[in-house]
Amino acid sequence: MSSGKIFYNTLTFLVFISLFIVIAVVISLSVTSYPIFLRDGLFFISKSVWNPVKEEYGILPALLGTLITSTLAVGLATPLAISLAVFSAEIVPPRFRALINNISDLMASLPSVIYGLWGLFILAPILNEYIMIPLHRYLGFIPLFSTKPVPTNLFTASVLLAIMIVPFASSIIREAYSAIPYYLKEAAYSIGLTRWEVIKIAIGYVKSAIFAGLFLALGRAMGETVAVAMVVGNIFNLPKSLFDMGYTIPSLIANQFPNAEAYNYMVPALYGGALMLFLIGLVINFFGLYLIKKVMIKS
Amino acid sequence: MNKRKIIEKLMLGVISTLAVISAIPIFAIMFNVYAEGLKHVNLSFLIDLPPPPVGDRVGGIGPALVGTFTLVSLAMVIGGAIGFFTGLYLSEFSHTKLSQYTQMFLQIMVEFPTIIIGLFAYTILVAPIKRFNALAGGFALSIVIIPYIALNVREAYKSIPYTLKEAAFSLGVSAPVAYLRILLSTARRGVLTALLIGMAKVAGETAPLLFTILGTTFTYFGGLDQPINAIPLLIYNFALSPYERWHQVAWGAAAVLLTIILLIFIVSRLIVKEVKL
Repeated sequence: MSSGKIFYNTLTFLVFISLFIVIAVVISLSVTSYPIFLRDGLFFISKSVWNPVKEEYGILPALLGTLITSTLAVGLATPLAISLAVFSAEIVPPRFRALINNISDLMASLPSVIYGLWGLFILAPILNEYIMIPLHRYLGFIPLFSTKPVPTNLFTASVLLAIMIVPFASSIIREAYSAIPYYLKEAAYSIGLTRWEVIKIAIGYVKSAIFAGLFLALGRAMGETVAVAMVVGNIFNLPKSLFDMGYTIPSLIANQFPNAEAYNYMVPALYGGALMLFLIGLVINFFGLYLIKKVMIKS
Repeated sequence: MNKRKIIEKLMLGVISTLAVISAIPIFAIMFNVYAEGLKHVNLSFLIDLPPPPVGDRVGGIGPALVGTFTLVSLAMVIGGAIGFFTGLYLSEFSHTKLSQYTQMFLQIMVEFPTIIIGLFAYTILVAPIKRFNALAGGFALSIVIIPYIALNVREAYKSIPYTLKEAAFSLGVSAPVAYLRILLSTARRGVLTALLIGMAKVAGETAPLLFTILGTTFTYFGGLDQPINAIPLLIYNFALSPYERWHQVAWGAAAVLLTIILLIFIVSRLIVKEVKL
């Protein structure tokens, strides 16, 4: 065998390993969680109960917690991410552009445990004092704000997640925005439009990229574990307001898994939660990647 | 000024304000971490064992630092190698079905919640031997970075001009020499950046370590089949503990971790800058 052939075969072997690992992860999730779906079926998702002693598991609160925190985070992050991208691509003087992009990229690569630590000891008390308590005091009649707030709850987790996903979403938007053909903008300026009006047109032009960035950010927010586990409160009950302490699926796994082996169905239940998380994430990421592909073909 | 001009000024102001707001957290985080953390950091903090929850002993993060170094090395050797060669294949043999499927799977896996990978590593390497171990942590971190490195290495090799590739092969050298000596030196900055980004990522990952390395051990290193600690995991555990003393250690550890990440980040940016000149 020639060295080229050996090289090619080694490469193929390593690629198979990569591929195999992805498939093995999915298989291991499905196989391990199978007993809980076999026993409880869809009640596992639609019930709100976590009673290891009676072996009763229904992850609805964690599922809701995941959906609430991640969508609220994306909602809060959207205007910030778009503004940051437009600011860096359009408004800031070119010589500061690299600096701003570097800061944004650095934010995206900070470990989530540092966000968690900061969120727990710095952000949570500030949010509680200046936002949550006033909201509860003056707008407490609205069900969303009806619970008496404590520093760590679903709202704090959402704000922290929003902070974490802004740079990520913004970098995707920024890339698409800078790829807008310059003649498009020149044409817009040439008919006497103001800068803001040109920005409006440009944002419309990169709509798909914005959605793609936000969808991928949503997927990230749903899967974030430690930062959320540190500020979400970790209490298993059906959330009635944003200021309730709660759980998300990853934080539920992080907190409950260490003693799961002591029970018969807790390991399958937690793997079942992970499987649900994986499936939701899969749909969201597929959609996000599809949108990105569309943008890339366009440009 | 007419109405359109006023709206323009107003909206540009709004956008700039929002952009500035979104950048405030990074500065706040760096400020808080260094303000709270640096006062605990000195040489003995980097070497000593963690302190007991109460008492006067200052203590340090020695075992966790050793652990993070061990785990990152493991992940870079296993995950780095597999990721690099996978990326090379994805770029140079992109016409094969294997390449197309692998790329699709890796693109999905890049966004996998990393806690799922922790569960997987637990199933494969912890549950069978009933002991938390360093290898399981290194394995989990490897899985986390394989897709990152593979996809970025693919980009690096893809960016080599086709004419250069033809020239390399026209020398009559074998494929390994062409890919790993000639073309790698062209793509080395992209590859190096990919490896560095992967390294920064695994150095800060916590979720895959939760169920694989245990983390509460007070020994420095007992072998790859033994429990080990890591800085991110130590921050997580100590921050959630009720002890003020441990919170201080968590802040100190965060300052160390942040410094490591910043250094890797700056080096990777310098490399990228060089490539543009």
